[in-house]
Amino acid sequence: MPTRPTTTQSEDATLFREFEHTGDLGIELTAPTRGELFRRAAIALAALLVERASVAEIERREVAVEAEADLDLMHDLLTELLVLFTVEGFIWRDASVKEVDRSLRVTLRGEPFDPARHPFRGEIKAVTYHQLVVENSPDGWRSRVIFDV
Amino acid sequence: MDLIKLNDHLWEIPQTGAMLVPGRVYANARMIEEMRDDPALTQVANVACLPGIVGYSLAMPDIHWGYGFPIGGVAAVDAREGVISPGGVGYDINCGVRLARTNLHFNSVEPKIDRLADALFNTIPAGVGSWGAIPGLSIGQLKDVAREGARWALRNGYANERDLEHTEEGGMLAGADPDLISERAYQRGSKQLGTLGSGNHFLEVSRVDEIYDSKVADALGLELGQVTVLIHSGSRGLGHQTCDDYLKLIVRAMARYEIKLPDRQLAAVPISSPEGKAYLAAMAAAANFAWCNRQVMMHLAEQAFLQALSITPKELSFELVYDVCHNIAKFEEHSVGRHQQLVCVHRKGATRAFGPGHPALPEALRPIGQPVLIPGDMGRYSFVLVGLETAMRETFGSSCHGAGRLMSRMKAKREAAGRDLRAELNALGVTVRAHTRAGIAEEMPHAYKDVAEVVQVMEAARITRRVARLKPFAVIKG
Repeated sequence: MPTRPTTTQSEDATLFREFEHTGDLGIELTAPTRGELFRRAAIALAALLVERASVAEIERREVAVEAEADLDLMHDLLTELLVLFTVEGFIWRDASVKEVDRSLRVTLRGEPFDPARHPFRGEIKAVTYHQLVVENSPDGWRSRVIFDV
Repeated sequence: MDLIKLNDHLWEIPQTGAMLVPGRVYANARMIEEMRDDPALTQVANVACLPGIVGYSLAMPDIHWGYGFPIGGVAAVDAREGVISPGGVGYDINCGVRLARTNLHFNSVEPKIDRLADALFNTIPAGVGSWGAIPGLSIGQLKDVAREGARWALRNGYANERDLEHTEEGGMLAGADPDLISERAYQRGSKQLGTLGSGNHFLEVSRVDEIYDSKVADALGLELGQVTVLIHSGSRGLGHQTCDDYLKLIVRAMARYEIKLPDRQLAAVPISSPEGKAYLAAMAAAANFAWCNRQVMMHLAEQAFLQALSITPKELSFELVYDVCHNIAKFEEHSVGRHQQLVCVHRKGATRAFGPGHPALPEALRPIGQPVLIPGDMGRYSFVLVGLETAMRETFGSSCHGAGRLMSRMKAKREAAGRDLRAELNALGVTVRAHTRAGIAEEMPHAYKDVAEVVQVMEAARITRRVARLKPFAVIKG
């Protein structure tokens, strides 16, 4: 039995926040840990693409990225996930992240994208480096990402 | 931001800090007040730090906050000493606009607008993924497209020779190397030839509702009441991935060339470096895909017209007026100071606008200057302009590219909440077919500046002149 969709947009609002950018789309994320920050980023991307509550957790996909800097890890992970959606047509509802040295192994739980069942929110062309932030502060981990839409 | 007024439509950002040249912004006093605190002006100053930049870091009146470069920015760098910045072209390589004219008068189409809008919506794939316009292409065929651009469309029955003559660069940018496009980029673009995409891309059926220069309008075959088609799209996933692939490479290579820039998204390497050469050859290949894409869509639009209106190709007389790109980097000769210099002009949300007599223009257009196509928002109007001689001296032969956003997408959606935008647009005489409600909300007319004001600034500065105004009556969106 696929998991019944229960998430709502208000639940997404606790995971990330969209901010105003004239031409494009920006998000801000905070998380208690580094791994959770990347997990929330993965979920945020799904929520920007479709109404995430409509996605059932039927299949799993793995994505791995490796980079020296956390900034590059964030950029490369979100780019890989965008490709997973645009090339393979896979959309996810949840994710889990395993941190191994300078790499991330991310497991996505979702299903093949079906425009009839998954209301589409808008095309994202790319993950930009513009004002990209990934940092650890006394209040926890924080990131800021601008997408080209 | 410190701004010096040079005249009523031109402002200078003085050269300070790491800037290698001053910035110059084309705008009227009202626009300048509106953009004074906008990050876009800081971005104009950041672009002025690119090694090899000559003249000025330029901004057109439709400037707004981009990533790295401002949208509406122009930067020319010395072709030998300068750098190439993928961010100065953008993810949508050769995003552009093409205008086709018909032999139809608005009065004859008016009773059938719904049928026509449906036919266009059903024929030209738009929105997410949007695929299936023409049979899926193999990697080998996609490489042919990347090598030949609109010429591939000609070989495959989607174009005629005249279409190519009326396309910037003949629809094929020299120096393209399809082998420098990644397999992933080909995968992203494999089913997308002849598709519109989403965001601000659209197909608009309009009528000519104002002629400003009847001599030039005649030369372009435009007359009052005539039905025209404007298509705004680019290189789709293939271009997005190509930019991303090379940006990633160049961000990491930049340190090797000791280039330091205020924003990572501006990442640049010398034009003469292996990375720079590879990017330019891949960019040209993606640009060619975009020209072929718009050409195939124009062909599909013609089929939709024929089917919806039950007329013959001769009665329709669907002909390309011109096709321009507004996200590109190109090698061109320009006067810099007192000298002619080969420069690489980055146009990020800016349109080439060569003046009369330029050898790059086809013979038929040379006496009048290059047509410049400026889409507005979907509720108001779009413009056809021509390039003037001053553009060659002041802006590296460049003009504006559109209305420019006024509201963020979020704000537009908030403003649209609870409103029936389709009905509002209908009241303005515009029939909209779109895949998503958000797509209409983000692109609603008031999210944009008034494009008339933008083109008036360019006219006051004698960069481009208005030829005709187009009033949309049917719009297809993703």
